[in-house]
Amino acid sequence: MSEESLLGRLYKDGEIIVEEGIQSRSMYVIQSGKAKVVKSDEDGETILALLGEGDIFGEMSLFDAIPRSATVKAAGNTRVLAIEHEGLLKRIKMDPTLAFRIIRQMSQRIRDLNTRLIFAQETINHANNKLLQLNKTENVCIKDRETKLSHIVTQLQEKLHKLTEQFIQGDETLQ
Amino acid sequence: MARIKGSTLTNGARVAIIGGGPAGSFFSIFASKLARDIGRAIDFTIYEKKTFTNHGASGCNMCAGVVSESLVQTLAIEGVNLPSSVVRWGIESYFFHTQNGSVQIKSSRLQQRGIATIFRGGGPAGSSEQGVQSFDEFLLQKAVEQGAYVKHAFVDEVRLEGDKPILFSGGKILQDCDLLVGAFGVKAGTGRMYEKLGIGYKIPSTIKATQSEIELGSDWIASRFGHSIHIFLLHIPGIKFVSIIPKGDYITISMLGKKTDVEHIKTFLSHPVMKKMLPSGFKIPERFCHCFPKIIVGAARKPFANKLAFVGDASSVRLYKDGIGSAYITSKAAAYTALLHGVGEEDFRKHYLPVCKTLNRDNLFGQFLFSVNALISIVSPVNRSYFKLIQWEQKNLQKDTPNSDILWDMLTGSRFYKDIFFRTLNPWPTIYVLGAMVISSFRKVFFPHMRK
Ligand SMILES: Cc1cc2nc3c(=O)[nH]c(=O)nc-3n(C[C@H](O)[C@H](O)[C@H](O)COP(=O)(O)OP(=O)(O)OC[C@H]3O[C@@H](n4cnc5c(N)ncnc54)[C@H](O)[C@@H]3O)c2cc1C
Repeated sequence: MSEESLLGRLYKDGEIIVEEGIQSRSMYVIQSGKAKVVKSDEDGETILALLGEGDIFGEMSLFDAIPRSATVKAAGNTRVLAIEHEGLLKRIKMDPTLAFRIIRQMSQRIRDLNTRLIFAQETINHANNKLLQLNKTENVCIKDRETKLSHIVTQLQEKLHKLTEQFIQGDETLQ
Repeated sequence: MARIKGSTLTNGARVAIIGGGPAGSFFSIFASKLARDIGRAIDFTIYEKKTFTNHGASGCNMCAGVVSESLVQTLAIEGVNLPSSVVRWGIESYFFHTQNGSVQIKSSRLQQRGIATIFRGGGPAGSSEQGVQSFDEFLLQKAVEQGAYVKHAFVDEVRLEGDKPILFSGGKILQDCDLLVGAFGVKAGTGRMYEKLGIGYKIPSTIKATQSEIELGSDWIASRFGHSIHIFLLHIPGIKFVSIIPKGDYITISMLGKKTDVEHIKTFLSHPVMKKMLPSGFKIPERFCHCFPKIIVGAARKPFANKLAFVGDASSVRLYKDGIGSAYITSKAAAYTALLHGVGEEDFRKHYLPVCKTLNRDNLFGQFLFSVNALISIVSPVNRSYFKLIQWEQKNLQKDTPNSDILWDMLTGSRFYKDIFFRTLNPWPTIYVLGAMVISSFRKVFFPHMRK
């Protein structure tokens, strides 16, 4: 692949493409490579989604001027094409169907979120029930197990993170 | 006016598309996709006489091969990313070369390689470059992926029997159809066939352009031309405008002027400003790939009839810019009209014609802007002052750069001409340029011996 014939801008592994909290109004389409959508807090970074070639991100900025809701970073070398906000709005005004794919992708994301939300809700309910049962039948005091439980949760989180990283790298070596 | 009956495309309908250039492919891509989305089984067949994988004229739809910034972005949003086998060079800026020097123009909005240069066919005649994929073939394959059929045939006759179009080749029937889409461009004589049908269609007016491909090697091109398209306004007799488009091992020279021919290309290549861009000891090859395609300067008359629609060059095109982007606009509009409204004459008049009219009206603003630009390039004090203004803005891209933005949008076709026109009404650049002209004349009269 000739470097001269690539479009957009190249981001190196880990480089930030859009940053949470910063206001900017461009939308992006991945030309080649992968990017991860992450949210950071004091406990570290949670990967919200993994994006691949052809995926659109930053589309929310089309509809509002509020700061970015998450950070998007390159996962490996990633080529990204920026879509200029004003020009796009003008094109959509002339041909509203141009927004179809953006809307389709947003609706897919809402579906995914709903599925994840339901899954999370079920897990919480399940855990609640189990804990209540334990409390009732065996008279176990959860307070005593708090440190152990939190240790298990941290371990699980680390494992999940490692798996995601491996998945990203594995996908890259496949290319 | 009465609506012609039976004018919707129902299950089992057959659509024939003459021409597998960008317009034919775009129509097929959008129409097939939409047909599937609304649950209709419709047969789309594209007739194309060329084999785009061929090198030279037999595989090429002859153009400068610049996919505009707005089309690259639009296609990406539509899910069509141009692969690196199709993109010969990523472009991030333009260079203007005049007798007064050169200036680079970058976009103040996005810093990226957002414009693609491509070969329409398999590459220049005689080229041995490997891994080049034709842009037209790429789009045609996208249409096939959406379910369209491609038949390699030259349609040499179209008849209307009742209200059904019938296609022929070499005296043999190819098919009849419920909608015939004319995506045949202007480079072949196919449009005349439709003029004879008596449906009121008239092909757009054209002028001749000159194009050539010169091999310089990608290393030289990268170092000397960079990731820029180079525009030359050198006042060479007979030549109005030359642009050089880098494409891998080759540069495409695209020329507009009065009856330009191969001699004009040679004269241009020998001009001192151009010579500086060529390797030392460069000799103009005895034979090089060149062509004289027609470029559109007007619009087609009545680009639709009952069960007939014309798209791309055969319909309306933006003046001097973004012909492929215009093919996208008209083809998509015709596809949506045919599937969502119907294929009767009134359907096209109501839903397709307004899109063509928008392009045509916008071209009036374009004509005006090009005339002003031509004037600026002719009158040297204006030219010099304008040039300096642009140079200053380019050095201060972080500030407001309204004139560079206007020039960028004119060069790239990123905005409609109407939009650009209203931005040119800002009085300050005019005051600056006129002021500079007055100072220049004052200097000439009172200090004739003083050099600048
Ligand atoms: C000198 C020049 C430079 C240009 N530069 C650019 C540029 O840099 N960027 C840009 O966007 N646009 C450019 N254009 C404009 C661009 O070439 C056209 O707007 C674009 O090709 C239109 O696409 P189309 O599909 O309508 O027509 P075409 O590309 O001409 O395709 C028509 C197709 O129909 C086929 N065909 C015709 N008749 C028949 C028939 N009877 N049977 C079967 N097949 C048939 C032809 O073989 C051809 O493949 C340029 C044009 C010229 C002349």
